[in-house]
Amino acid sequence: MTATVTTPAATTPATRRGRGLTKKSVVPWLFLAPGLLLALVFKFWPMAKGVWLSFFDVRPFLGDKWTGLDNYTRVLTDHRFQDAIGHTLVLGIGQSLGAILLGFVLALLLEGQARSLKIVRTAVFLPAVTATAVVGELWRLMYYPTSDGLLNSGLHFFGLGPVQFLDNPGIALWSTMAMGIWIWAPYNMVIIMAGLAGVDRSLYEAAAMDGVSLWQRLRYVTLPAIRPALGIVLTLAAIRGLRVFTEVYVLTGGGPAGSTEVWMTRAYTLGFTRNDIGGASAASVVLLCVTLLLTVTVNHFRKRGDVR
Amino acid sequence: MGDRRRSRRLAAGLVATGLAFGTAACGAGSDSAGGDPNTLEVWTRSNPDPAATYERVFAAFTKKTGIRIDYQPVINFDQQLQSRASTKDLPDVMINDTALMGSYQSQGLLKPIDPDSIAGHEQITAKSWSSTVGIDGKHYGIPYSRQAQTLMIRKDWLQQLGLKAPTTWPEMLRVAKAFATRDPDGDGKADTYGMVVPGSAQNGYAAWWGASFLWQGGAKIVEPDGRGTYKAAMDSAAAVNTVTWMKDNLFCGDNAVTQPGALTAVTSTATNFQDGNAGMYLTGPYNIATFDQTLGKDKYEVVPAPAGPAGGDVLADGENIYFGARTGKAKQERALAAFLISPEGQRLAMTGENQPVVRIPVNSRLDAATVRDDSRWSVVQKAYEDASQQFPNAPDFAPIKQDTADSLNAIFTYCGSDVRSQLGELNETLDGDLKDQDLLK
Repeated sequence: MTATVTTPAATTPATRRGRGLTKKSVVPWLFLAPGLLLALVFKFWPMAKGVWLSFFDVRPFLGDKWTGLDNYTRVLTDHRFQDAIGHTLVLGIGQSLGAILLGFVLALLLEGQARSLKIVRTAVFLPAVTATAVVGELWRLMYYPTSDGLLNSGLHFFGLGPVQFLDNPGIALWSTMAMGIWIWAPYNMVIIMAGLAGVDRSLYEAAAMDGVSLWQRLRYVTLPAIRPALGIVLTLAAIRGLRVFTEVYVLTGGGPAGSTEVWMTRAYTLGFTRNDIGGASAASVVLLCVTLLLTVTVNHFRKRGDVR
Repeated sequence: MGDRRRSRRLAAGLVATGLAFGTAACGAGSDSAGGDPNTLEVWTRSNPDPAATYERVFAAFTKKTGIRIDYQPVINFDQQLQSRASTKDLPDVMINDTALMGSYQSQGLLKPIDPDSIAGHEQITAKSWSSTVGIDGKHYGIPYSRQAQTLMIRKDWLQQLGLKAPTTWPEMLRVAKAFATRDPDGDGKADTYGMVVPGSAQNGYAAWWGASFLWQGGAKIVEPDGRGTYKAAMDSAAAVNTVTWMKDNLFCGDNAVTQPGALTAVTSTATNFQDGNAGMYLTGPYNIATFDQTLGKDKYEVVPAPAGPAGGDVLADGENIYFGARTGKAKQERALAAFLISPEGQRLAMTGENQPVVRIPVNSRLDAATVRDDSRWSVVQKAYEDASQQFPNAPDFAPIKQDTADSLNAIFTYCGSDVRSQLGELNETLDGDLKDQDLLK
C-alpha cells in the first residue's frame, strides 16, 4: 500500500487524464480505508460467512456438511417460523406506524424554542437512549399482573383488571408493541422535528389568512413540507421493524406459548439453544433479503413521490 | 471524465486488496494467544457470586502446581462457545451442565477422556462415572458436582397456619391454596402465592422445572431401548395424566396457586420466594446460600419433594468437567481435573461465603452435610442418591428439552387445550429430533 502512495504524483493535465493512479484518486480512498477496514472485518466478512454457513450443516470440529438449500426449506416449512413471520409483521408494522404517529404528535406538541420545551423534549427523548434491557425490566414491572403493578393498580382504581399483560397469549404481542412504540416514538420525534423546523413560516401565515382549519393546515401545509423527514423515518422503521429482537427477548422471551415469538428470537433459539447454526444462518439470510427488498421498495416510492 | 472514473476504480481496487491482506494478517495473528503451555483457559457458566468461589479454587490449584489459570466466567455460555467453536479455538477446560454433554459431543467439541488417566478417579463412584458415557461408549466428561431438586418451603407460614410440610401432590396443593388464601404473612392483604414456577419456554425452563413432576407421575420424555437407540415417550398414559394434573391444578385452577407471571418467568425473574411472597419453590440447592441471605435461614426449610402417583423422584443434574477438543494441553488439563475432584478441591468449592459451585460432592470420601455442617444438605444428598433421575446424557438433549418446554408452556397457557393431542404432537416432534441424530429406534 505504501507503494501506491509513493507513486510519482502526476500533475500535468495530460497525465491526469491517463490511466495511471493519481494522487487525487488515491487520497480519498486512503482516508476511507480505516472505516472500510472496520466495516469489512466486523460487517461484511461476518455477513458473507453467514450466507456461506446457511448452506451447511455446521459442525466446526467435525467438518461442515454441505446440505444445499436444505436449511432454507427446513426453516420456511417450519410452522413455528411461519407463526413467527406473522407476529413479526404485526409487531413490525404496528410498532413502526404507532411510533411514527406518536412521534409526529410529540413533535407538533414540543416544537419551539421555549426553555421549558427543551426540558420536556429531553425528558421525552430519554427512552430512546436507555438500554433496551433496562426498559424491558421497567415495563415488566409496570405490566406486573396483579394490582401491585403500576398499570394494573391504575385499572384497579377504576374497578377493572387485573389484566395479564404478558401472560395472556392474546394480549402479550400488543403489550410488547406498546413498549416498542414507547421506545421508538421519541427517536422519530427528533427527526420529524428537524423537518418541522425547515417548514417555511410564511406558509402557515398564508394558511391562517385563508382561514383554514387545523386539520387542513396539517394536511396541506405541514405534511407535504416534512415529506423528506417522513421518508427517512419510514425507511428506518422498515429496517428496524423486521429485525425486532431485544424488545421481545427481554420482555417475554417469545412466550407465552410462542405468542410473541418473532423471526429473530426464533433464529436465536435455533442457533444457540438447539445449536443449529446452519438453520439460524439461513433464517437470518432470508430476513436480510426481505429487509433489503423492503428498504429498496420504500426508497423507490419515496423517490417517485419526490419527483412528483 | 471516464478516465478519471477508471483511475478511481483502480485505486479502489488497490485499497480493497490492501485491506484484504491486512485482515488476513490480523486473522493469522489471533490464535497465538492460547499458546502458553503452562496456562489453561477455563470457562464456567457463572454469575459473579459463584465465580468468586471458582477464583479461590483456581488460586489454590495454581499455588499447588504452578499451572496458571486464565479463568472466564461466562453467563451466555453456549452462545460464546458457538462463536469460539467457529474459530476452531476452544477453551482448554469447561465446567458446565451435565445435560449438555451429548450436545457438545455430537458437535465434536470434546476430547474423549480415559477415567484411569485422572489421578483419584477411583474416589468417584461408578454410578457417577456412568453418567458421562457418550453415545459411542467413551467418556466425554469428568463428574464434578451433582444435585437434585428439593422443596424449599416457608417454615413460619406453615406454623402460622398450623400446617405440615406436604409429602404428596394433594397435600402440596392444599398447602399452596392455604398459602394463597389464608394470609400466612398476616398483613391482611391477599398478596401471597402458593409456589414459584419458572414456566417460560425460554432456554427450556418449563421442561427443566416440569421434569420432576413428570418423573413423579411415572412419565419419561424419551426412553432408551437398551440398544443405543431411543424413542419419545410423551404420549404415554402417565405423561397425559401428569400434564393434565399440572395444567388443571397449578395453572388453570384456583388463582394464586402459582405466582403471577409464572408462564413467562425464568429462574432469574422468578424471585417471589426470596422476596417473601411465595411459600414453596421446587428448585436446586444452589439457592440455599441465596435464600439464607435474602430470606433468612430461620424462615424456611428444605424438604424432599412431595411424591406423585409413581413416587418422589426428582430431576438430578449437575456439572461435569469437559476438555475442549484439539487444545494440546492434555497433561495440564488432567492435573486440573484431578485437583478439582480431590477432597481438597471439592471442599474448597463447597464452602466459603459465596455460592458453592460443588453442591453434592462427586468425591465419595466427602459428605455434603458434614463438610458444610448443615443438616439441610443431607436432604439434598439423600434425594440425589435415592430418588432422582437425570436427563439421558448420551443424546444431544438440547433440542429435546427445548421442544418439550415449548409444548408444556403452550399446554399450560391455553387452558382449553386438549392435552392428549398436544402431547401426541410433541411426541412426533421428539421422534423427529431423535431421527435427526440417528438415534430413533
